[in-house]
Amino acid sequence: MEMQTANQKEAGMAPVQLTLKRKWSDTLRVTLRAVVKVKGGLWGGIFVGLMLLCAIGAQWISPSDPDAQDIAHRFAGPSFTHFLGTDYLGRDILSRIIYGCRIAIIVSFGAVTLSSIVGVFLGVISGYNEGKKLDYFIIWLFDIVRSFPQIILALAIVAVLGPSLFNVVVALAFTAFPFYGRVARAQTLSVKEADYVKAAEAMGQKRFRIILKHITPNILAPVIVCLGMDMATMIIWESGLSFLGLGVRPPTASWGIMLRNGYKYIQTSPLMILWPAVAITMAMIAFSLFSEGLRVALDPKERER
Amino acid sequence: MLKYTIKRTLWMIPTLLGVLIILFSLTYLMPGDPASAMLGPRATPELVAELNQRLHLDKAMPVRLGYYLLGVVKGDLGTSVWSGHKVSSLIAQALPHTVLLAITSLGIAAFIGILLGAFSALRRDSPIGGAVTIISLLGVAVPDFVAALLLMLLFCIQIPILPALGAGAEGDLVDVAVHLILPATALGIGWVGYLSRLMRESMLDVLDSDYIRTARAFAVPRDIITYRYALKNAVIPCITVIGLGVGKLLGGAVFVEIIFSRPGLGKLIVDAVYARDFPMVQGGILVATILFVFANLLADISYAFVDPRIQYG
Amino acid sequence: MSGPLLEVSKLTLDYRLGTRKMPALDRISFSLEKGEVLGIAGESGCGKSTLGLAIIRLLPRVAEIRRGEILFDGRDLLKLSEEQMDREIRGQKVTMIFQNPQNALNPVFRIETQMIDILRVQDKYQKSRRRKRRHNYRQQAIERLRSTGIADPSERISNYPFEFSGGMKQRVMIGMALSSGTSLLLADEATTALDVTIEAQINRLITNLAAEYGTAILYISHDLGVLSEIADRIMIMYAGRTFEMGPTEAILGSPRHPYSVALLESLPGRQSRGKRLLSIPGFVPPLDQLPGGCSFHPRCRFAEPMCSQQVPPLIEVSKGHWSSCLLDQKRGRQKWQWT
Repeated sequence: MEMQTANQKEAGMAPVQLTLKRKWSDTLRVTLRAVVKVKGGLWGGIFVGLMLLCAIGAQWISPSDPDAQDIAHRFAGPSFTHFLGTDYLGRDILSRIIYGCRIAIIVSFGAVTLSSIVGVFLGVISGYNEGKKLDYFIIWLFDIVRSFPQIILALAIVAVLGPSLFNVVVALAFTAFPFYGRVARAQTLSVKEADYVKAAEAMGQKRFRIILKHITPNILAPVIVCLGMDMATMIIWESGLSFLGLGVRPPTASWGIMLRNGYKYIQTSPLMILWPAVAITMAMIAFSLFSEGLRVALDPKERER
Repeated sequence: MLKYTIKRTLWMIPTLLGVLIILFSLTYLMPGDPASAMLGPRATPELVAELNQRLHLDKAMPVRLGYYLLGVVKGDLGTSVWSGHKVSSLIAQALPHTVLLAITSLGIAAFIGILLGAFSALRRDSPIGGAVTIISLLGVAVPDFVAALLLMLLFCIQIPILPALGAGAEGDLVDVAVHLILPATALGIGWVGYLSRLMRESMLDVLDSDYIRTARAFAVPRDIITYRYALKNAVIPCITVIGLGVGKLLGGAVFVEIIFSRPGLGKLIVDAVYARDFPMVQGGILVATILFVFANLLADISYAFVDPRIQYG
Repeated sequence: MSGPLLEVSKLTLDYRLGTRKMPALDRISFSLEKGEVLGIAGESGCGKSTLGLAIIRLLPRVAEIRRGEILFDGRDLLKLSEEQMDREIRGQKVTMIFQNPQNALNPVFRIETQMIDILRVQDKYQKSRRRKRRHNYRQQAIERLRSTGIADPSERISNYPFEFSGGMKQRVMIGMALSSGTSLLLADEATTALDVTIEAQINRLITNLAAEYGTAILYISHDLGVLSEIADRIMIMYAGRTFEMGPTEAILGSPRHPYSVALLESLPGRQSRGKRLLSIPGFVPPLDQLPGGCSFHPRCRFAEPMCSQQVPPLIEVSKGHWSSCLLDQKRGRQKWQWT
């Protein structure tokens, strides 16, 4: 898996085949450049970066304390002190949105990481033991979890465990791991039969180590793309669960909770619903564009289009 | 054809068994004592003991599992702790509303989405293609419950022309239909967006294919090429997607029912969760899951109808 | 009606890709008599498929015809409307079969449906007085299949395309394309995707049926071996231009253009045992980076300075035999020794 020739570079397309020989920093740089080339990938990336910024640096970026109540000025419209207005307790909506970014990123990142690690791990094991009982058992597990409508399963888990940030992450991760599992399993199966695996085996390397070594780069691309889209959906579900009161607990500022409050006061203050709705939508668009850009960047065939 | 259906259905059995096992084991996840949790503030030692006995919570696990599975097979999903009615009858009352909502929104969305997609593929140069793309991006981006809230904000509060709550007076078709407009739109908007884009791409792909070129080389009339040859091939990925999407739809229906206060399976489940009515939650989720699995099965089978290559695979 | 069946003059067309313009055909001219088989030879990308598609007017949208005429039975096909092409030409007088039989048939419809649709169209445009019923069309389709050597046609006609092998699918295509009403068959690499043994059968089928119906064939192929067996005349193309054209025996026996010689020498069988197969050094230039003068000169062993300065015209160097090599035209027939 050598680096592509100079010809491709001249054609303006950066080679992004992942190999184990190249430095990760190189790969990253080249991937990012390719993503940006895709229409919208740039904007998606910028907004995602913005969200990350808000998540990490909420306390410095946010203009006010998200929990600071000011009953005298509740339901206020936009003003200089409160760019997006205030909610039913007089809290600054903009600050709550920024802190909501933090929850959104934490939940989605956590859930996606957990589910992808567990899923890929199980998927590789399953693929490696193709045909044996272990394989059938793991597939059975995947199929069971996949049979549930995802949000309903997450709902049930949080309902049983009790609403909290951690439980939300666990519940969401549980509903998502089979998808990564199946992708990983499929990759494992195809790599298993590949000629270079047989060749390496013929040279005396241990089968499992070979497969592990060759699967990782092959899996990375589809999994990373899944991650991007998944984060978007997780953000939505966290909001949904919190909207139902089955997610993060108030007074934590999550977009879902803001929507819940907004719903209660829908007749009084449209702004309470509008801003978190906009935030969620834009987060979704941003992640979609970014992961679409990632997908095109990582798929050598796609780049020909 | 039949063989394929049977094969697929048989594989469902162990899967459903697993589903039942998971639902069953949910009780074990609950922190604390299930019976007191279910009774909540009403819990007195006598009531707790009575509930324990009734729900067999005091027996060993294999026994409980046995009771549970037996009940399910008989169609008895237990009794709602909160209302005292049988779970199965409560579900039977609520289900038609959800099904109506799902079918309406999916049906209309599929119809509009597929047509829009096909149309924008055929009129490649007109601005319609661009407009469709933008609309579809927006449609996909806004999650269904957010869309529901925004629609409610716009059409019930700001411009009060549509009813916000309820499903409409039973038997009055017009009223029911009017009450369906916003919820169905909220659920369907994402689908219209997604399907129209998918259909457009699929159609463009198909129109470029070799077999369409063959048809053109033999002067097959344009409308036959488009509406028979191309459409049947292009629709295939849409059907798969629709099948897979029923699950998302069920999830979305939950929110839409809560937001618009419509009776339905989703509202039933969520209300049961609030009330810690465990048998109701279990039963509701079971039915929702069965519906989901069944819908996927149907989608798979209909896929085989459309694409004859599948059955032989 | 006297005169050749097909007369192409100075056909020039480009492919417009974004801002780039790739000249695909440059002043292609040739004629084809009724019942004659003309082989169009050349490497991939030389424009031979484009030529076929241009005649039946199925070029992709990005193709732009700059100038030229395609006279079929005296009428310029380029001036006809889409409707007229459909009504009178495509599928009836002029038919085309393509390279990849795997993809040429619609996978979700049965063979019988597709054939019946086509037969119906043919009837409609021929303004048949008799309104046939579906049953009649089905019989007709079965007969067509039978004539192409498909066993058990009445059973197989209800099959789906994926139940046929590649060779059989091509037979189906031939059955649809060749009938008594066909004057010209365009065969674009019809057997390239098939096994060698099947290839011979299919080519025999094509030539037999064509002879029976009096159909002329424009047989497009990169395989000079095949063309040597079935073509009356051969035209050799390179990068959108004609390099040599003439009767098959003349092209094979006394080729005038260095490129033709090289093509022939690279055929296995032409070389004596033990000698290496010739492979022409370099590669076919992309159409938007054509060299000046003779487009082959950078790869030609025998190139001289004038070859890069002047685009060689296509000149009749002996009766019916045309070549476009400056050196050949100026000095008469050379023996081009590549090895």
